[in-house]
Amino acid sequence: MSGSIIGRTTQIRGNVRGTGPIDIEGRVEGDVTTDGDIVLGEGSVVRGDVAGTSLRVAGSVAGNLTATDSLQLEPGARVVGDLVAPRIGIAEGALVKGAVRTEGMAAPPRTTGRSAPARRLEPAAREETPPPPRAEAGAQALKKAPPPRKSSPQSASSAAKAAPPAKAPAKRAVRKPPPPVVPALAKGTRGRKKKAKRK
Amino acid sequence: MAGTVIGEGLTIEGEVVTEEEVVVNGTVRGTLSSGDLVSVGAGGVIEADVQAASLSVAGQVTGNVNAQDRIDIQAGGRLVGDVKAARLTIADGASFKGNVDMDV
Repeated sequence: MSGSIIGRTTQIRGNVRGTGPIDIEGRVEGDVTTDGDIVLGEGSVVRGDVAGTSLRVAGSVAGNLTATDSLQLEPGARVVGDLVAPRIGIAEGALVKGAVRTEGMAAPPRTTGRSAPARRLEPAAREETPPPPRAEAGAQALKKAPPPRKSSPQSASSAAKAAPPAKAPAKRAVRKPPPPVVPALAKGTRGRKKKAKRK
Repeated sequence: MAGTVIGEGLTIEGEVVTEEEVVVNGTVRGTLSSGDLVSVGAGGVIEADVQAASLSVAGQVTGNVNAQDRIDIQAGGRLVGDVKAARLTIADGASFKGNVDMDV
């Protein structure tokens, strides 16, 4: 019940500031600022800047609207001023005169549009370097595994259990970083093919 | 349902004019004028001259009050300022400092 309501016949000349949701049905000549949601109802008139978490506007506003989450203009809304919010919705029948910017949460994508490839490359590069050791370890594990199988069935079962996790990284290494693996295979295969042809 | 509610945590600095009932649980600084009941909740603060049909104070009011009908200062309520009203009640436990002007 901490919500606030500015009633239909209420006129405020001055600033409204604070916390919690505000429902404005009346008239405010001044800035409205809260960390909660703001509803500017039909028939409401605000001359001043309005800032909140999410705004729903169906009335008239002469001033800038700023929302940290979303901004929705309903049919019948009249806004003369700038709209700034990560998400902005303007319904058919709403009038807007001013700049519209989807910023806040939406701003990072613009900057990351350039930096995103670099960020993507970094983890990829990190992934490329570690896999070879994994592959080697997996290969070593595979090489070491066979002898115990012959020696005892119990160790064979344990080796079989141990083998899957060792194989898994090997498969990943083959799938993800093809450049280091494929050339090595290519050399070997070429040699074998050539030998096969010679034979 | 009250016409206008100044919620907890909300501050209005300036002039408030309305024909509706006003519930103040937040803060109002400036002037407050209502054609109906103005009630100040336990956490409400008014630092303004108040013009209303009637006023009920459970919070704090600092300023001169002019009520057409009545003023009720409830227990725990605090009013500092001159008061003009047809009827006035001050509950036990309420604090009041100011002059009273009742049409005699």
